[in-house]
Amino acid sequence: MSLAKTVLITDDTAFMRMTLRNVIQKNGFTVVGEASDGEEAVNKYKELRPDLVTMDITMPKMDGISAIKEIMKFDSNARIIVCSAMGQKPMVIEALNAGARDFLVKPFDAQRVVEALHKASS
Amino acid sequence: MREKLDFLTELGNIGASYATTALSKMLHDAKLKLTVPQSRILSFSEAANYIPDPEEVVVCVYMRMVDIFDANIAFILPMNSALALAGFLTSEKSEHLTDLGQSALLEVGNIMLSSYLTALSMISGAKLKPAVPAIAVDMNGAIWESILADAGITDFVTVLETHFSTEQIELSGHLFFIPDHDLYEFLSSKVSGFLLEEST
Amino acid sequence: MNEIFVNMGQIGVIKNSGVLVTVGLGSCVGVSLYDPSTKVGALAHVFLAKSRGNADSELLPGKYADTAIPALVDLAVKAGANRDRFEAKIAGGAHLFENTKPDMPSVGQRNVEAVIEQLHKHRIPITGKDVLGKRGRKMSLFVDTGIVIVTSIGQQPIQI
Repeated sequence: MSLAKTVLITDDTAFMRMTLRNVIQKNGFTVVGEASDGEEAVNKYKELRPDLVTMDITMPKMDGISAIKEIMKFDSNARIIVCSAMGQKPMVIEALNAGARDFLVKPFDAQRVVEALHKASS
Repeated sequence: MREKLDFLTELGNIGASYATTALSKMLHDAKLKLTVPQSRILSFSEAANYIPDPEEVVVCVYMRMVDIFDANIAFILPMNSALALAGFLTSEKSEHLTDLGQSALLEVGNIMLSSYLTALSMISGAKLKPAVPAIAVDMNGAIWESILADAGITDFVTVLETHFSTEQIELSGHLFFIPDHDLYEFLSSKVSGFLLEEST
Repeated sequence: MNEIFVNMGQIGVIKNSGVLVTVGLGSCVGVSLYDPSTKVGALAHVFLAKSRGNADSELLPGKYADTAIPALVDLAVKAGANRDRFEAKIAGGAHLFENTKPDMPSVGQRNVEAVIEQLHKHRIPITGKDVLGKRGRKMSLFVDTGIVIVTSIGQQPIQI
């Protein structure tokens, strides 16, 4: 495992993308792209084929659940971790059923994100 | 009526607790003070007069949910609190709200409002799906009026308001939750159910 | 100077001297009527476009565009104004929340259109306006001169 795993970050807030980018890059991963809505995430996934994806849920144009479904259709091995402010149980279940590997509720600490990424990439 | 409002106050209390817990985590576990929420049913004129200083410049993060129930939820900070919070999160020192600072506040608002809704959902069983949050920096009165107009409120309106503050940084703000009539009835029907059980 | 505040849904009327002020114009529209010959001024803070026979528990005439304009005319005439001399000015109808697109047309746009339609219907010329956009506004009508000043954050007050 000498090559760093690549990550695509999806969130509609610039601040959140910046925060995640900092945490992820400091912990041995490479951020290869950012998306600010579900549609962009799907397109960038197809273009960049990252090892891992972080996905917000509540976003304009296309929400996270729909994006997860689209990405999974394209690549059933996609490794997607949800990072969302919304922690309601039915929503977590919906995301996991759609194909997400893990679900983190904001605000989360850096440790938790890194753990989740490591777990998903093994 | 009083019992219905008391129940709403309790819901508002729990919602606000979740919201401020989330904020506390973002402020490195700062201690946040919450006032007991005020639940009020306002007439249109009372709603029009609700904001004590309508010309005060504030930052507002707002979500309007349209689903089985309609509800509006907002987080409002006076400008100096907004700058203190944005500065803390971004580590930028600025006298004006930068784009990054605004983005940070949008995210904080998003997290707090979503936490509030998660709490309400869990307790009441109401399905409350959050929407994409919106941000405005403007006069308090204009923002308040826009929220009411957007919600199509023309007559009575139920408002749950909580004030929060911390000494860790100079921060003081308000959370508002405005359920539509159907949601209000649904939430307060929980009280009727409780009362019925008591009497048998 | 005698400042009279006009709240959401209200109408204020004064004569000769003083200033009618309305704040908190987000998507709402402030409408002023002025007759320079009698120095009668009236200001309404319009909240929504159509009353649609709403059984509002409170009858606030300024609340809807279709009831506000006739009420403005009525009250101004009762205060001694000459309806043939009316000039109207309008401000507001903005969409404040950034990063979200409003429904098309937005509440503010619909308000502006409804107010303009009503003023045309009553054959009142619109001699000044500052509408739409993204800023909240405060509108002041100075009744000794008929001057209307609109203020928003981050910019100098303008005369419309």
